Amino acid sequence: MNFALNEEQTEIRDSIIRFARQELSVSADEANGFPHAAWRKCAEMQLMALPFPEEYGGCGADFLTTVVATQAFGYACKDAGLVHAVCTQILCGMQINSFGSEELKHRYLPSLVRGEKIFAQAITEAGSGSDALGMRTRAELAEGGYLLNGTKIFITNGPVADVVLVFAVTNPEVSRISGISCLVVEKGMSGFTQCAPMAKMGLDTLQNGELVFADCPVPAENLVGSAGQGAILFNESMEWERCLLPAAHLGTLERIFETSVAYAKGRSAFGQPISKFQAVSSKIVEMKMALELGRLMLYKVATTKDQHKRAALEASIVKLYISEALKKTCLDAVQIHGGYGYMKEYEVERDLRDSIAATIYSGTSEMQQNIISRFIGL
Amino acid sequence: MIKDSIRHFIATELAVGGANTAITDSDQLLEQGIIDSFGIMTLLSFLEEKFSVHIEGDDLTPENFSSISTISALIDRKAGLSAGA
Repeated sequence: MNFALNEEQTEIRDSIIRFARQELSVSADEANGFPHAAWRKCAEMQLMALPFPEEYGGCGADFLTTVVATQAFGYACKDAGLVHAVCTQILCGMQINSFGSEELKHRYLPSLVRGEKIFAQAITEAGSGSDALGMRTRAELAEGGYLLNGTKIFITNGPVADVVLVFAVTNPEVSRISGISCLVVEKGMSGFTQCAPMAKMGLDTLQNGELVFADCPVPAENLVGSAGQGAILFNESMEWERCLLPAAHLGTLERIFETSVAYAKGRSAFGQPISKFQAVSSKIVEMKMALELGRLMLYKVATTKDQHKRAALEASIVKLYISEALKKTCLDAVQIHGGYGYMKEYEVERDLRDSIAATIYSGTSEMQQNIISRFIGL
Repeated sequence: MIKDSIRHFIATELAVGGANTAITDSDQLLEQGIIDSFGIMTLLSFLEEKFSVHIEGDDLTPENFSSISTISALIDRKAGLSAGA
C-alpha cells in the first residue's frame, strides 16, 4: 500500500494546475455559451487524451493518473461546467475504447482525444431518470441498421455535440437488461435534432438539452458492443463515471477549503481572526476531513480499476460521499464568508450552485444509497 | 460445484423478492426477473472474487448471464484461459 503519487503523476498534476490558472482564468459568469476557446486549450493540453492508447492519439495514462489529473483540473479551473464537459468527453471515449469495434475506435477516438469533435452520451429521458433502464427510445431493426425514435433530455454536451452515444431499446420483448443497445449518432444525420440548451441553476457553461430522434437511420456498424449489451455497458461506464466526476469534485472541494482557510484567518471580528471561533473552525475541520477521506477512497477506486477489478460498490461510495461533502463544503464556505459569501464577487456562491448538481447527475445520492444497500445485502 | 456456488449466491443474495432456493440450471435469470440490473453488478463482483477471473468487454453480454448454466460455462472458459496463460 503506497499513499504517495509518483513523479509523473505529481508532474502532471502540477502542470494542469499551472495551465488552468494561466489559461482558464476567465470567470465562467462572463460566458453563457459553451466555452469553445477554453475547450480547445484543454484539448491542446491533452486533458481529453489522457487514458487512451497512443495508437489513437492518446497518452496511455492509467486510470489513477487520469483521476489525479482530473482532480487537479477541478481544483484549478473555476469553470465547473467546462470541467464537466471534458469529463463527459473522456467518459464517452472510455466506452468506445472498451466496447467499440476497431473500426469505431479508429473512426472516433482520434478526433475525441484532440477535442475536434464534442461527444455526449444520451441515456436520460423525461420519464426515466434514476430508473435509466426504463427508457422508451426505440431502435428498430431496419435495412442496413436501425431506425431510432425517441427523445432524450438533460443531455450533457447534447446541444453542441458532434457525436452522441445513444442508449435505446432494441428488443422490447426481452428483459430490460437484455433489450437495450448503444448506438453512435452523428450530428447531421437525418431525423436527429439537437434542441437549445436548457437554463440551469448552475454549471452555466455546460450545455444540457433535449435530443430528438425521429426515424433517424443508424448504420449497423455504429453499434457499440453487441446488440443487447447496452445495459451492461451502462453499468460498466458508471464505475468510471462515479470515479472521474468525484475526482473533479474533490479538486473543487480542496480549492474551497483553501479559500475558506484564507478568509477565516484574514477576517477579524471581536478583535481576533474568525478562525479562532470554534463555530467557524469546526466547519473548516469538516472540510479537511472530507478532503482527506474522500481522496483515500477515490484513489482506492482508481487503483482498483487499474488492476482490472470491479469497483461498483466503492465507486458508489465515492460518488455519494464526495458529492455530498462538496455540497456541504460549499454551503459552509458561504456561511463562513458571511455577507460576502452571498455576493457573486467572492465566487463561493457559484460553487454552491454548481455543487447541487453533483448530488443529482450520474445517479442521485438516493440511488447511490440503494446500490450500496444492495451490495451490503440489505 | 461452480453451479452450486453460483446458485447459492443468487438465491441468497440476489433473487428479487427474497431468497429463492429452487433456481434450476436452466432458469432464465434475466428474463424471469430473478436478477435485475443491480444484481448483475453484484454478481460480477462475486464471480470475479470467488473464481479469480476477470470478466470484461465481449464477455459482458446478457447471454452469458442468462442462466446458471451459461454463467458456469463462462467461468469454466475464463478459468481455463487463466490456467493456460
